[in-house]
Amino acid sequence: MSNPYRLWEILKRSNTGAFCDEDDFLPKVFAPKVKEVIKKYEIKYDPKTPVPADDDLADRVWMAGWELFRDVGLYNTDTHRIIKLSDEEIKEALYTASDRYWVGAGKDAVLWKHRKVEDSEPPFCIYSPDCPVSEELHYSMTLAYLQEPLLDGLCAPILEESMGEKVRSASPFEINGCTQHIYNMRLAAKQVGRPGVFFVAVGTAEHDSGQIAVSNNEWGVRTTDTRIIGTLTEFKTSDSLLNRAVHCLQYGCYNGNLTGPIYGGWCGGSEGVAVSLVAYSLNGLCIYGSIFNQHFPFHLNYGSNTTRELLWPIAVAGQAMARNSKLLYTSNGFANAGPMTEMVFYETACHALVSTVSGWHLWEMASARNKYRNRATPMEARIGMEVGHAVARQEMTREEANEITLKLLEKYERRAADAPKGKEYQECYHVDTALPTQEHYDMYRKIKDEIAHMGIEFPF
Amino acid sequence: MSIEELCKAVERGDQEESKQIARQLIDGGVNPLNIISSLTEVMESIGDKFSRLEIFLPEMMMSGDAMAGVVQMMAPQIKAGEAGSTKGKVILGTVKGDLHEIGKNIVKLLLESNFFEVKDIGVDSDPVKFVKEAEAMGADIIGASSLMTTTMPHQKEIIDILKDQGLRDKYKVVIGGAPTSQEWADEIGADLYCPDAGSAPKLMAELLKIKVR
Repeated sequence: MSNPYRLWEILKRSNTGAFCDEDDFLPKVFAPKVKEVIKKYEIKYDPKTPVPADDDLADRVWMAGWELFRDVGLYNTDTHRIIKLSDEEIKEALYTASDRYWVGAGKDAVLWKHRKVEDSEPPFCIYSPDCPVSEELHYSMTLAYLQEPLLDGLCAPILEESMGEKVRSASPFEINGCTQHIYNMRLAAKQVGRPGVFFVAVGTAEHDSGQIAVSNNEWGVRTTDTRIIGTLTEFKTSDSLLNRAVHCLQYGCYNGNLTGPIYGGWCGGSEGVAVSLVAYSLNGLCIYGSIFNQHFPFHLNYGSNTTRELLWPIAVAGQAMARNSKLLYTSNGFANAGPMTEMVFYETACHALVSTVSGWHLWEMASARNKYRNRATPMEARIGMEVGHAVARQEMTREEANEITLKLLEKYERRAADAPKGKEYQECYHVDTALPTQEHYDMYRKIKDEIAHMGIEFPF
Repeated sequence: MSIEELCKAVERGDQEESKQIARQLIDGGVNPLNIISSLTEVMESIGDKFSRLEIFLPEMMMSGDAMAGVVQMMAPQIKAGEAGSTKGKVILGTVKGDLHEIGKNIVKLLLESNFFEVKDIGVDSDPVKFVKEAEAMGADIIGASSLMTTTMPHQKEIIDILKDQGLRDKYKVVIGGAPTSQEWADEIGADLYCPDAGSAPKLMAELLKIKVR
């Protein structure tokens, strides 16, 4: 569906595709197919090499992901039917997809391009705290992120209250919260002198009505911005999600497909997560008409993706897509530790390193597993983006990245289960100026210098 | 055929073989209560392996289905109240506006494996539906899952409706889901917060003052 004429042809399959009982879809359709393609394409996780440099493995993961998407399709929980595409249609969508898009507006517009494995072009950097934030801090935190020098795009925090009321999905308070959310973003962008900066908005909207309510080129989400549309875990959608896809395409803004395959869940282990990441990317392109795919694979128990069983699928899936397509895709980090801890800096640096050399763009950083309100700051994202720029500029190889990854894992991996929650935004940032405290900055600088000694050549 | 072989078949998640062996055991005079006791131990071990991710969700679900098939097949042989007596009745669902289901489904399987009676009311469930279904079932517990920050307030709405209808003391309200926490449970007055699926059976049993294996 990269071309609009496919929109209704494919969406009609929501009503005409094969019927399947929802209870059967994951255990009887999805999970067996995942196992089948892992075996067929001989995909094997190696914990000793979190960043493999095996092109043949990457290509096999691509083929396995393709077969998984083609044969399993996407299940609509409202109609209980499966949307499927043929090989020919997938090829057509990949052929007609663009490898680059201008996003944002005016002087702030940025050309976002497909990356290759070990690409010297820096990743496109989307900053996002990914966590809920209280009303009194939402504006300051938005401002803080927009002041980041390497920012190419912003997904602002989720607004927890609006006018003192909890934002409740599918209620009028959600629409009110979404309006407040985008106004905060617009004002902050203007104040920092980046009025046309690219937004991913608005994260406060869980329901389609909230998203649609803020589509407005004057004050709201513009056609130069993007929305993200979720795919339910695993490989399910709903009419509410398809509504968003149709709205974005008809409104004319970009959209990205948001997916979170679960390690330990229906995908199984690392191999299944890798294959699913590829399949989800084809789903985003072909069914939602997405220009990019936003992936946050995560560990069932930890809710994070900075341990090696998640870094491996991130690495091989990124390489699979980089070598075999011209798609855009962002790697969304989920750290175990919270803000202003040494651990969150190590985790973010490691996630960004693995992702960048493997062809991904960056989306950093959900701190403390995005579980706690106000627990995220731009500083952890900053170190990730700086690592991304550095390793691209120095044309780091996967082998070199693997060595540094192992050193970084030594620093934090054993603490994944009981990672420190860290501090809240207002404890490590000055709320009025939206700048980090000296203590927070000093910790960031110390870890950055330490990482530089491992072989990462920061430009500043 | 032996109970050990049945346990292995359940561990492999082989539904047909499990039922076949169980049938042979019963025909051979083995007490169904002994079979259930052994299978419960197996499921406990499988649950432990899953909690450490030594096995993954598909394998655990297959074992759960295999055990459920055996228990269902043996039901006529078991006198009422002899075995598998309900440790508690639970209404379980994902709250309004939220379409996520995986956590809820894992909790359901683990509860059923521990002899809770569970009615799953699905995703995107209105707060009133939780209450009405609890009334209809005669439930002990209302379990509400939320995976999104903006759907968490609907967990509170369930408690508010129970209070408004004078039913608050009739049910234990249990919450869970990625963005939820003990702090949130305390704030809204929930009776229990489950930090993960694996802990749910034990914590819920303790909540009802029932000892779980």
